[in-house]
Amino acid sequence: MSLDRARFVPLLALALTAGLLAAEAQAQPKPAPVKIGLLKLTSSAPIFVGVEKGFFREFGIEPELVYFQAAAPIATALAAGQLDVGATGLTAALYNIVLGGEKLWIVADKGREWPGYPLVAIVVQKEMWDGGLRSIRDLKGKRIGVTQLGSTFHYHIGNILEKDGLTLTDVKIVPLQAMSATVEALKGKQVDAILVPQPFPAAAEAQGFGKIMAWAGDLYPWQIATIFYSGKFATDRARAVAFMKGYVKASRYYFDAALIQKDGRTVPGANYEEVVAVTAKYTGARPEIIRLGFPFQDRNGRLLVPDIERQMTWWAANGFMKKPLPLKSIVDTSFVEEAVQALDR
Amino acid sequence: MAVERLVVADRTAFLRRPDYRTLRVLALLGLVVLWELVTRTGWVSSLFLPSPTGVLAEGIDMVTSGQLFVHLARSLERLAWGFGIGVVTGISVGVAVGFFSLADAVVQPIIAATFPIPKIALLPLLILWLGIGETSKVAVVALGVFFPMVISTYTGVRQADPLLIRAAVSFGAGRWSVIRKVILPSALPMVFAGLKLGAGTALLLLVAAEQIAADAGIGFLILQSGNLMETTKLMVGIVVLSLLGLLSHWGLSGLERAVIRWRHT
Repeated sequence: MSLDRARFVPLLALALTAGLLAAEAQAQPKPAPVKIGLLKLTSSAPIFVGVEKGFFREFGIEPELVYFQAAAPIATALAAGQLDVGATGLTAALYNIVLGGEKLWIVADKGREWPGYPLVAIVVQKEMWDGGLRSIRDLKGKRIGVTQLGSTFHYHIGNILEKDGLTLTDVKIVPLQAMSATVEALKGKQVDAILVPQPFPAAAEAQGFGKIMAWAGDLYPWQIATIFYSGKFATDRARAVAFMKGYVKASRYYFDAALIQKDGRTVPGANYEEVVAVTAKYTGARPEIIRLGFPFQDRNGRLLVPDIERQMTWWAANGFMKKPLPLKSIVDTSFVEEAVQALDR
Repeated sequence: MAVERLVVADRTAFLRRPDYRTLRVLALLGLVVLWELVTRTGWVSSLFLPSPTGVLAEGIDMVTSGQLFVHLARSLERLAWGFGIGVVTGISVGVAVGFFSLADAVVQPIIAATFPIPKIALLPLLILWLGIGETSKVAVVALGVFFPMVISTYTGVRQADPLLIRAAVSFGAGRWSVIRKVILPSALPMVFAGLKLGAGTALLLLVAAEQIAADAGIGFLILQSGNLMETTKLMVGIVVLSLLGLLSHWGLSGLERAVIRWRHT
C-alpha cells in the first residue's frame, strides 16, 4: 500500500485530529490526588470505606493511601510536605513538630479509646497469663513493648499505670519502632506485654501466643486518633472542606454500620458485613478477627477538644514536650463544622 | 675567576604540601556560620535543621540538668568494656596467629569467613542469645573491635623486617629477645592502625546497639529525640558522637606518638 496523494490527505487529517484531542486532554489538568498517611488497622475503617465507596471522589477528591508502620512518621512526613492528610494517632512527635514551628492542624475525630469499644489492648504473653500475670499491678517491673517513645501506646500505658498508683518508671518501656516488630517481640518473648490496636490483639489470641489482659479503652478513655491536615493542605480551603465532606459521609456510614449499641452491646447496623469485608480487604486480616469489634468515633467526626489539651499537659509534665501549646495553634474544627453543615443541608 | 650561576628550579615543588593551618580552622568556622545563617533567615526550617546556637543552648541545658552525663556515662561504660575486651582478645589472638603456624592454620579461615559479616546484622541474633541488657551491647562492640585488631596485629607481627631480625640475632639476641625487642615493637604501627579503626567501629556499633532496647546512652538519646521529633536534642546527640570520635582519634594518635618514638606519624 503506497502513500499516494489520495490517501495522504485523509491520513493527515486523522493524525491532526488525534493530536488535537490529545492536546485537549492535556489542557485540562487532573487535580492532584490527596495523599493520606495511615496504618493498616481496623481504626482506619472510615478511610477505607470512604475510598471503597467513592465518597471522596463524590466531592472531587482523588484519595491516595500511603501506609506506614507507626503514627509518628506520618506526622513527620506531613511536616516534610510528602502527605496532605494524616489519619492516625496523636503522638508527642506531632505536638513537638508544631512546637518546633511547623504548621499542622488537628481537624477531625478518627478514633477514641472508649469503654465497650475495642481499639488498643494490653496483650501479655500467653505463658505469663497462665502463670498469673492478670492485672495492671502485676505489670510492675515488666517489659512493655510499644512502637515508639512518645507514641499513643506510651501515653496510654502511662495514664493506665497512674490510675493504679504506678508510674512509667515502674515498668520498662521497650520501643520496637514498627507495629509488626512489636507483635514479633511478644511472639519471641523479648517483651512481657505489648500495647497494639485491632486487629493485632485478636490475631495474637487466635494464634495462641498472646492473651488480652484488658482493652485499654476500658481503663482510660481518650481522643487517641484524629485526622490532621498539613499547613499547606489546610490553606487550600475548597479541597480541604471537600475532603472533610467525604470523610464525614464515610464516618456516618461507618458509625451506622459498626458502632450502634443496644442494651450496652454493639449490634451490627446497616451495611455491617460490607464494612467488615472492606476493612478485612485493606488490613489483610481475616473477617472473624475484624468482627471482634470496631473502635469508637464520633458519628460526625467531631473532636474531644479538651482532651487534646490534657494530652499536651501530660506529655510536658513527663518530659516529652518542652511545654504545652495553646489549642488554637493546633486545633481547627472549622473544616468539620463546615462539612457537617453542608451535608445536612 | 668568574662564578657561573646555574639556576636549578625545583621541579618537585608542585608536590610540596603546605599545612594551611589557619585555613583549616576558617573552613570549619565558615561552615558553622553558613549553617547558622541558613536557619536564622528561615530558609531552612529550624525543625528540620536546628541552628548551631540552638544546639549549643540545648547542649548546655542538657549538661546543667545532668541529663547528658547520664547518657554519656552509660555509653562510655559500654564502650570501655567492649573496646577493652575486643582489643585484648584481638591482640592475643593476633599475636598467636602471627607466631604459631598452627594457630594461623586454625584461626585464619574462621576469621576470613566471619570478618565480612556486618556486625550490625548480628545484633538481633546477639540480643536473642544474650538478652536485651548490657551483655549483648558490649558483645557486639567487642566483636566489632576484635576483627580489625586481630587482622592488624598478625599482619604487623608477620611483616617485621627480616633484616632487623637477622641483625638482632647476629648481635647475639635469643628467641625471646628477638620477639620482645624486634618483632613486637615493629608490629606496633599496625596495631595502632587497628586501634583507630576499631575505635570508629566501636562507636558505630554502640550507637546501633543502643537504638534497640536501651533506656540510656547517646544512641538511645538519638533514637528518643528522633521518635519525639525533638530535632535539637537529636543534633546534640550527633555532635556528642562527633566529639567522641574526634577525641578518640586524637587520644590514640597521641598515645601512638608517645609509644612509637622511632617513627613520624
